[in-house]
Amino acid sequence: MATTRKKLESLSNRYYNEGLEKATVRDMTGAVEALHQSLKLNKYNIDARNLLGLVYYETGEAVPALSEWVISKNLQPEDNLADSYMDMVRSNPGQFDNINQTIKKFNIALNYCHQDSLDLAVIQLKKVLSLNPGFIKAHLLLALLYLKNGNWDRAKIESQKALKLDTGNLLAKRYLKEADSMLLPGESGKLVSDVASSENDEVIRYNSGNEMIIQPVKKSAIARSNSIWGILLGIVLGVAVACFLILPQRIQSINSKNQEKIAQISEESDSKSAQIVAYEQQIASLKEEIDALGATVTEYEGVDSTSAAMNSLMKAVNIYMEDPQNYEGMGEALANIDLDVIKGDVSAEFTSLYDYLMSNVGPQLAKSYYNTGYEAYKNDDFETAITNLSKAYQYDNTNVNTLYYLGNAYNDSGDTDKAKEIFDAVVTQFPDTKSAAAAETKLAEINNSNG
Amino acid sequence: MLNFEEELKKFRPSLEIEDAEEIIYNQDIDDMSDVLVKLLKEAKAESDTAKRSKE
Repeated sequence: MATTRKKLESLSNRYYNEGLEKATVRDMTGAVEALHQSLKLNKYNIDARNLLGLVYYETGEAVPALSEWVISKNLQPEDNLADSYMDMVRSNPGQFDNINQTIKKFNIALNYCHQDSLDLAVIQLKKVLSLNPGFIKAHLLLALLYLKNGNWDRAKIESQKALKLDTGNLLAKRYLKEADSMLLPGESGKLVSDVASSENDEVIRYNSGNEMIIQPVKKSAIARSNSIWGILLGIVLGVAVACFLILPQRIQSINSKNQEKIAQISEESDSKSAQIVAYEQQIASLKEEIDALGATVTEYEGVDSTSAAMNSLMKAVNIYMEDPQNYEGMGEALANIDLDVIKGDVSAEFTSLYDYLMSNVGPQLAKSYYNTGYEAYKNDDFETAITNLSKAYQYDNTNVNTLYYLGNAYNDSGDTDKAKEIFDAVVTQFPDTKSAAAAETKLAEINNSNG
Repeated sequence: MLNFEEELKKFRPSLEIEDAEEIIYNQDIDDMSDVLVKLLKEAKAESDTAKRSKE
């Protein structure tokens, strides 16, 4: 049994050496196979197990790597390199978390593939590879998706990247072969997709090693000038078409629209004119109506004023009968009676009663109004003076001073026409008085100043 | 020409860290020696059974 064990250990070591050699040249697939064989022959081959973990870790498979190291540590607790490997992972939790995230994202991408969401899968795989560029399975799946989409150049690049990480990877070799078969034979580096897009001759894409170079096509000055002439010719043709075909039609349509508008406006204008004539007739008839109503109102006003004057007179008489000395109350009652206005409308009885009252209380009322008006005149309050002196003259037309100061009040207030009228009355009604002489002087002054 | 669906079947989800414990416990780590020992035990058991039946 011991001999057999030694033979098995020897064979295991041979596979381990083979695996080590393959791992040295980055043939990860071959290394994994050899190391698995080694461990099948001798599970206690700690070096083989630790190396298998390292190979797994290098290809982006962190969990199988950790599993191998944990088992290794379990089989040989002392003096085991797995300790240092696990310490390395533990001391760099950020990197380990990063690797774990890439694994999760890869699984999501694979799920997208199964759900036929290939575009999302491509995006996800690109994220995975940006986080962990050594994840071989992600490169391979991305290459397969590119092959499916017809992106042969990109599929080739991803396959080459996978082969660079794992030189013995059969899938990568197959995908590379598939991509290569879609490239044009004999034109190294030039791709089918480039040929498909070469009709516009805008860019040339080619591979230099693992890098894809995209280069704009250089055009000669003649070719550029040709394109400029082509653009200019196109502009000229466009303008010509606009001038000869589009513009006349456009102008005609605008003209017809304008004519329609003019016709519409003239119709509206006619209807407005007819309306204006109707309104004018209506205004004329309304004016006539207003005049008629105004005449009616005047008649009613006359009636009102006469009626009011009668009421005022009766009120004044009533005050006189109650208290003959109440000149102030009688003055207020008679203040609203203007004999000039109601002269033709009142009865003889009214005039007789008014004259009777005036003969009894007129001089006293006149004296009261005269005193107030004179004081106002002295104080240059000509408006009050004119009102009161006019009342005083109304109640007693025998006092020459009342009329004279009334003329002065008009004259000093600037109403020279009325002043002349009053002064004429002074001269006419009270000749040979001092006031008449003074009034004549005033008249002369007024005439001189006007002349 | 590759068959996409067939190729896709070759890709298995990568093992996540949450699965590590289960993988370690369930991993078959038997080597050739273990197999030989089992074979010998079975052979011995079979021979013992045969002897008993003859007796």
